[in-house]
Amino acid sequence: MNNKRTAAVRTDEVWKIFEQEAEEVQAVRGVTLTIEPGEFIAMAGPSGSGKTTLLNLIGGLTRPTRGRVQVAGHELTTMSNRELARLRLESVGFIFQAYNLLPVLTALENAEFPLLLQGLNGGERRRRVMELFELTGLAGLEDRRPGKLSGGQQQRVAVIRAVVAEPALVLADEPTANLDSVASDRLLDMMEELNRDLGTTFLFATHDPRVMERARRLIRLVDGAVAFDERHQPEPKR
Amino acid sequence: MNRAIVMARLALRNLRRQARRSVLTAAAMIVGGALLMISLPLGDGTHEDWIDSAVRMGSGHIAIQAPGYQASRKIEDRLSDSARRAAEAALETPGIRRHVVTVKPQLAIGGLASSPTGARPAQIVGVAPVAEAAFSILDEKVVDGRYLEPGDRLAAYVGAGLAEGLELRLGSRLVLTAQDADGEIAGQLVRVVGIFRTGVPEIDQALIHIPLNTAASWLRSGGDVTAIAVLIDSSRRVPRIRRALQRELAGEIEERSLTVMGWREAMPELDAAVKIDDLGNYMFQGILFGIIAMGIINTVLMSVMYRKREFGLLQALGLTPRQTGGLVMIEGLILTTLSGIIGISLGLFITWFFWRDGLDFSFAWDEDWTFSGVVMDPIVIPYFRIARVIQGLVFIFIIGALASLYPAFRATRIDVAESMKFER
Repeated sequence: MNNKRTAAVRTDEVWKIFEQEAEEVQAVRGVTLTIEPGEFIAMAGPSGSGKTTLLNLIGGLTRPTRGRVQVAGHELTTMSNRELARLRLESVGFIFQAYNLLPVLTALENAEFPLLLQGLNGGERRRRVMELFELTGLAGLEDRRPGKLSGGQQQRVAVIRAVVAEPALVLADEPTANLDSVASDRLLDMMEELNRDLGTTFLFATHDPRVMERARRLIRLVDGAVAFDERHQPEPKR
Repeated sequence: MNRAIVMARLALRNLRRQARRSVLTAAAMIVGGALLMISLPLGDGTHEDWIDSAVRMGSGHIAIQAPGYQASRKIEDRLSDSARRAAEAALETPGIRRHVVTVKPQLAIGGLASSPTGARPAQIVGVAPVAEAAFSILDEKVVDGRYLEPGDRLAAYVGAGLAEGLELRLGSRLVLTAQDADGEIAGQLVRVVGIFRTGVPEIDQALIHIPLNTAASWLRSGGDVTAIAVLIDSSRRVPRIRRALQRELAGEIEERSLTVMGWREAMPELDAAVKIDDLGNYMFQGILFGIIAMGIINTVLMSVMYRKREFGLLQALGLTPRQTGGLVMIEGLILTTLSGIIGISLGLFITWFFWRDGLDFSFAWDEDWTFSGVVMDPIVIPYFRIARVIQGLVFIFIIGALASLYPAFRATRIDVAESMKFER
């Protein structure tokens, strides 16, 4: 929790250009953004608008062609792969559209994986994970492998994995895309609660109107550039 | 549970998840490990048989002799009576004595054997009959008559080839002529009491045993001998016992009154034969394991390519590229080491259960086949050594590590963002 106050994202004229079959694809074009700690942001835009690429740049999963990215005060562009891995482990949580749980681990083991990598002892790990399992209605499913969980349950495990180490920032790529409306609402409730209670910053790449309605800031990307960026009061939950 | 255990557990579960692929890779390693542990004890058993036959027929596991004797084979280069006594005292040292099976003094010279029908060059060896019979297998190779006995004086035990050449029968007389200790040519009449056949032409056509006392008075050598041959309980202990003897006899060695040689120096052609055979064996193992390694590289690499997304995910969660490569290495090593242990155990079990009393190779060679002056016994008794098992395990571990290296490297180079792309 100690890095929460300093949690922030700053991108400065960030470009990402891919070479595809001898053709240049400008996935992200000069994006400049500042995200304050504790924000709950939806990043919308049509397919191919650069949402996922921008998330990957902020998460240090890919390096920008030009420009700078800062996360929690760290300049990502000058960091080694090893340092980026360390930053992800300590300060960034990821939630993916395809859940991406490790199939050979149980729900509990998947959820506690970042804590294992951080070297926390078994008792502390279990306490933290079980608290979140209770909170998200997953209690009793700890020993199930991902294949034995529904899509909604898997995504909730993925959310727990993303937040269990209390990162400053959670990057979520279409987290509700494969869920029905009930499961989506439940998941968003949970993330709002975490945002409110722990002050975790959430940045969603999404097409889902429910996510956009609940976000307190909406960024719209078009052709890799920010076309719209506005803070607003979320609509009351329906 | 620390990070290493997590990685090992993850690796084990991944291996179990890809059961068919793991079993196929493991099967190759199991067969390789088993073949390794079948061929090594059999190879070592063959070599032990060669060494045992050769040292018993020749100068023992360890030969104590005068420094120049190995090259000259002449009576001038003999051990003096005092050097002989020092050597015999050294062999009684407690640390050495318990490994000594038997000791034989020999007075061996090159000379001429003559009968009324002709003369032949001969290797004439004066022996102490009881010590020699306990040491050598020559007394068991008798085809006519008997071996020398303690009361014999003018008796000779003659190779069958030489007996045929000189038309000798039991009771025939022959004259041995050689240079004596004073440099004079001296003759000695002896009578054939036994004829032997070893199957080694060089031995059967030249070797004659006579009593040591007869040789000493004929050659005027007193208590001197040309060599003291020592048989010890295991050929593997030769270097250690040799060093101990060299320490005990440091003074005599310094004065150049004697030298202590292991069988490798005393019988360099046998040493070369063992090394060449070992080399052939190692080359075969190398090729076999090279093929197995290719199989492992293929399956582990396939697994890495198939699991790109998983490795990407692990890195997104905070694993460094090196740790991701480490996970692949652990998987490869667990798979190869476990299957290697199973293979080695299987090989040892097969060799011990079916062939511990000897594997009959008489379909490949008969009893008279000789190699490097040694009769090859077609029954090969496997020789089990812990060192070979450890060597096998280390070898398999290295093969596993080498075969996992490239797939692990590929895992470190995965493009995380690319691997995490959702298939829309």
